[in-house]
Amino acid sequence: MASGIKDKVAIIGMGCTAFGEHWDKGPEDLIVDAFEQALADSGVARSDIQAAWMGNALDDINVGNSALPLAHALRLKTIPVSRVENMCATGTEALRAAVYAVAAGAVDFALALGVEKLKDTGYGGLPLRTKGLANDLWLPYGSAPGSFAQLAGAYTAKHRLNGDDLKRAMAHVSWKSHQNAAKNPRAHLRKAVDMDTILKAPMIADPLGLYDCCGVSDGAACAIVTTPDIARGLGVANPVTVKAVQLSASHGWEMSYGAWDGSYVLNTREAARRAYAEAGVKEARKELSLTEVHDCFSITELVTMEDLGLSDEGCAPADILAGRYDSDGTQPCQIDGGLKCFGHPVGASGLRMAFEIYTQLLGRAGERQLVAPRLGLTHNLGGAPFNSVAAVSIFGRLH
Amino acid sequence: MRGVARVGVYAPLLRLDCAAAARALKFSGLAGRRDGYRAVGGWDEDAFTFAVEAARGGAAALDTLIFASTSAPFFERLHATLAVDALGLPRETRTRDVAGSRRCAVSALLDALLARGSALIAAGERRPARPGAAAHLAQGDGGAAAWVADEAPARFIGWASLSYDLVDTYASREHPEPYPAEERFVKEGAAAHVLVPTIRRALESAGLSGGDIHHVAAPEPVAGLWRDISRAMKISAPNHASEISAKLGDLGAAHALFAFALATARAKPGERILLTGFGSGCDALVFETTGSMPGAELAEAALNEGALLADYVRFLSLNGALDLDWGVRSEFEQKAQATVLDRYGRDTLGFIGGRDCAGNVQFPKSRIPVRPDADGPEAMQDVRLADEPARIVSVTADRLNYTPDPPFWFGLAQFNNGARVMMEFTDADARGFSVGDRVAMRLRIKSHDRRRGFRTYFWKAAPAERPTLGG
Repeated sequence: MASGIKDKVAIIGMGCTAFGEHWDKGPEDLIVDAFEQALADSGVARSDIQAAWMGNALDDINVGNSALPLAHALRLKTIPVSRVENMCATGTEALRAAVYAVAAGAVDFALALGVEKLKDTGYGGLPLRTKGLANDLWLPYGSAPGSFAQLAGAYTAKHRLNGDDLKRAMAHVSWKSHQNAAKNPRAHLRKAVDMDTILKAPMIADPLGLYDCCGVSDGAACAIVTTPDIARGLGVANPVTVKAVQLSASHGWEMSYGAWDGSYVLNTREAARRAYAEAGVKEARKELSLTEVHDCFSITELVTMEDLGLSDEGCAPADILAGRYDSDGTQPCQIDGGLKCFGHPVGASGLRMAFEIYTQLLGRAGERQLVAPRLGLTHNLGGAPFNSVAAVSIFGRLH
Repeated sequence: MRGVARVGVYAPLLRLDCAAAARALKFSGLAGRRDGYRAVGGWDEDAFTFAVEAARGGAAALDTLIFASTSAPFFERLHATLAVDALGLPRETRTRDVAGSRRCAVSALLDALLARGSALIAAGERRPARPGAAAHLAQGDGGAAAWVADEAPARFIGWASLSYDLVDTYASREHPEPYPAEERFVKEGAAAHVLVPTIRRALESAGLSGGDIHHVAAPEPVAGLWRDISRAMKISAPNHASEISAKLGDLGAAHALFAFALATARAKPGERILLTGFGSGCDALVFETTGSMPGAELAEAALNEGALLADYVRFLSLNGALDLDWGVRSEFEQKAQATVLDRYGRDTLGFIGGRDCAGNVQFPKSRIPVRPDADGPEAMQDVRLADEPARIVSVTADRLNYTPDPPFWFGLAQFNNGARVMMEFTDADARGFSVGDRVAMRLRIKSHDRRRGFRTYFWKAAPAERPTLGG
């Protein structure tokens, strides 16, 4: 009988580069920067790392395929190194692999590193690629904002909302993240923006305006994991441990079976349900101190609040506008600025979320530090609402 | 008695107001046509899609399918074969393309009438022309079709043909845009040497005189030509081709069949129709109607439905006459693989999904159905979705992605038979698309690989009803 991952793995070191437009850095620089931070934080030696997983989503435009870019950049000498990719959930996939390796007893120390170099494409937004395969014969070449904007229309129709009311709630999501990122030295977009500017921004994919969309950034984030026993041996008596790592992937139901109403993300709900069970979370609204969710677009964060069970169905707009998820609300979301403003180097984002929870749990978040956080949740979403991979992880201290 | 058993027409949504074009061209003195309308295809339409749209709704099987056009997208790849797949017809259907002259569709129809077996002639036209050329505004985009069978409401009662190299216009590989001869020469020569003698022989073959004709479908190579012919032949019947020229433009190879469809819509039983095809000679055919013509009702609707286009620059862009720099986002790879087309091309072009053992319909088909309680491979029965009504579940107007006619509309379509497909939307009107809207499927260009000169086709969701022009 599976017993889950709770408290079987400790995070003893993390690193995260500033996210942004790193015109002066290649992916190898970002890898080294994130790793050196994590290594210094962990107190272990480079040679202690016994296995590594690199998360990188868009191999054809930046880092390169296989795990060799990681092995080369860090000169990892003949240890097993693998590359994982699961669209925007890639960073969490790398962490999941490392955590499972340690939990299985296969290795004592494992490395998970996510990296993406998006700003070498020559334009904003994510690249569009087709390879002449079967899906290219019929699937629309929709952009990421176009795919997520679909949520808004369906959500509005389902809950009989006025589109302007939803737009205001979405704007508040972005306003809040800009406020938070202004206090985060690693964030890509460190500028507070007023509601009026957000609401009047140029339209990208109806009803998502420019400020409803997250930053497209370069960056890397990294974690070194081991067992709680080994962590104690290293002098970390009460380490941050992994309480749950759960993943749910579409099998085509949303896109090809006529039951989904288009207004929520099934995989987020499934991954959250399993993560709460794995972590022993009974009342997420009370037990989770903070969340870092996949706010690739404001509408995604809004819907995710319901999919995680933090807002009742149809009530996320009101909860958001009431400030519940603001930095001074009862359950802050994106205290680091989120994808929206910290930035979204795709393969790194899941680990960046974990980095913020780790930092908050250890009381190292400086100006944006929350008071005595106990449990933090990350939600990493790949693909599109109609065809997605959702990862939900929960982190806390061992004791 | 053998004849035309069904007709079909298709006109694209947009109608350029030629007065708007004349205003934009006023400085140049090249305005050309200053009144009337020109049917304008969307960026994702071509001669093939027009022909297929016109040819929908016919029998489930045919002996022969002929595609007719002077502006077919491929030199080497048979459009008639693609049309067999797009229309869901059996692969055993004989296929061929005809071209070389605007009369190719009428010539193919004549051949089919003189042959045996059932046939479909599907014509489409989207001819290039340079801004400023008279043809740029005189031409229109569209398609038309005719089905031939042994039992038909338009009985074939007479015909004549003439081969005559009167170069009223030409287009070549080196000069793809039509190059016209002097109008006065064409007007005199076409009437005296080509049309009048051929029509006279056709009427004689039917044992008729000009006064016995009630409707005419005779495209005019130059405006006013029919007036001269009608005087010479003493035919007082209306020429429906002229009305199409005014409302849609000159539809090239599709024009005569479109006009014939309109004539059958307006003809009473027992009335006679003269159909001519002109270009490098002439074919003249005479029909007598015996009852209502299936598909003819669409011809009247096609003339009166649509959306006005007064933006001359958008017209130039849609028509390929203005090559805008769409930026780096338009540089993505669109190569189609022959092996993939071999495996999935027919189901994609025909929009063929599958019905699983529990009755659920899905697209595309899969070894293991998407149905939640399916737990292993199942045999699937083919289900065509192209003709199935649908509603919108989710939608957006994507302004980030490249499309030659922004915005890029796409979303989830829920078909009445239970299938659900994430797909592109097309033919948006000023209101756009919303959740719950009813949509119908239209065959369109899916990808256009300009570097390699290749294109793939798939179906897109369009509003179920078209607006009335000026409404």
